[in-house]
Amino acid sequence: MNRKLKLLGLFVGAGIIGHVGLVMAVPHALMSVAMSRMSGDGARINQFFFGPRTTKDSRGVVRPSPDLAYSSCVYDLGKGPLLVSAAPSPNQGYVSLSVFAANTDNIAALDTTQYPSGIRFVLARKGQSVPAGVQVVESPSDKGIILDRRLAPTAELFAEVDQARRADSCAPLAQS
Amino acid sequence: MSGKLVTAGVLVAGLLAGAASGWFTLQNGMVQGESYSGWSGSKVTGSVDADPWTRARVAVSGLLALNKSQAIYFSRNTDDSGARLREDCRYRVSGGAMPARWWSITVYAADNYLPLNDDDALSFDQTEAQPDGKSEWSGLLAPKRPEGEPWASTSKAGDYDITLRLYQPTAAAQADYAAIPMPKVTKLDCGGAA
Repeated sequence: MNRKLKLLGLFVGAGIIGHVGLVMAVPHALMSVAMSRMSGDGARINQFFFGPRTTKDSRGVVRPSPDLAYSSCVYDLGKGPLLVSAAPSPNQGYVSLSVFAANTDNIAALDTTQYPSGIRFVLARKGQSVPAGVQVVESPSDKGIILDRRLAPTAELFAEVDQARRADSCAPLAQS
Repeated sequence: MSGKLVTAGVLVAGLLAGAASGWFTLQNGMVQGESYSGWSGSKVTGSVDADPWTRARVAVSGLLALNKSQAIYFSRNTDDSGARLREDCRYRVSGGAMPARWWSITVYAADNYLPLNDDDALSFDQTEAQPDGKSEWSGLLAPKRPEGEPWASTSKAGDYDITLRLYQPTAAAQADYAAIPMPKVTKLDCGGAA
């Protein structure tokens, strides 16, 4: 009887560990897959990729919005901070830059309502040296994703904002 | 069977059962959150304050979602009567002034991606539904294109759900989701009855 109880306790304990372990691991695993897809299996790190218009065939990330133009920069702060910037869209259309840590948390979101002439910040790990006088976003992880979202509900608007977003930058501070 | 083998078997079985229950929890629908007039949304979506279950659910059904300072997301898979949204039915979605700079309503299939149709009408948004800034608006969820009104196609959507995005929500909306005037979803007819 005593042994049966011990085995039952072991089963329940292992079950809790399995449940919590999976729940904790899923965000990191899915982020890793997304980073791999968005960076072309690591070929595009610390640079923006300007995605095509969202269609039924857009399968990179779940629940994409067909009304937005997406650009992504998979970042790696292992060798130092990045300077990130986004140019405004024509007619002050909605533009935001959002930063996601490796655990999927949205650690920063800046938009052109706050910064109508364009968004600009340094992305760094805590303790990394950054220049004075610039806005700094601290990432809790070396790796993650920066997303540029722009309002583009029609093909015509997409073409306009596509031109504007080509001025975006996501590059090591030393090269900027 | 030796005692050690039994113990190892129980351990593995427990881990597998726990992982399976975790996966079921994450797969069991969209981000749960709280319910607001038939729509569900979570104040901690995308937030560093999200609990591990919310964070994992968002990763599965809404990876790279913004936090509420930038966007609020609500989803639903039923109409106002509580019936499951059906691909072959038509629904009117209607509302008033939304407390945000811009909003949209999008149809998603059960796999969390856009429906595989060629209608080029996967959503409708504020620019279509409120082009002149009028406060009252409406749009249609239907498998066929209607005449002269905002439309999101449900063709090939299967058991779908819809997501309402409120971009740059007002401070009042961020503080109290219950105060947001949520759009109504009213069934019109099914099976091409119109």
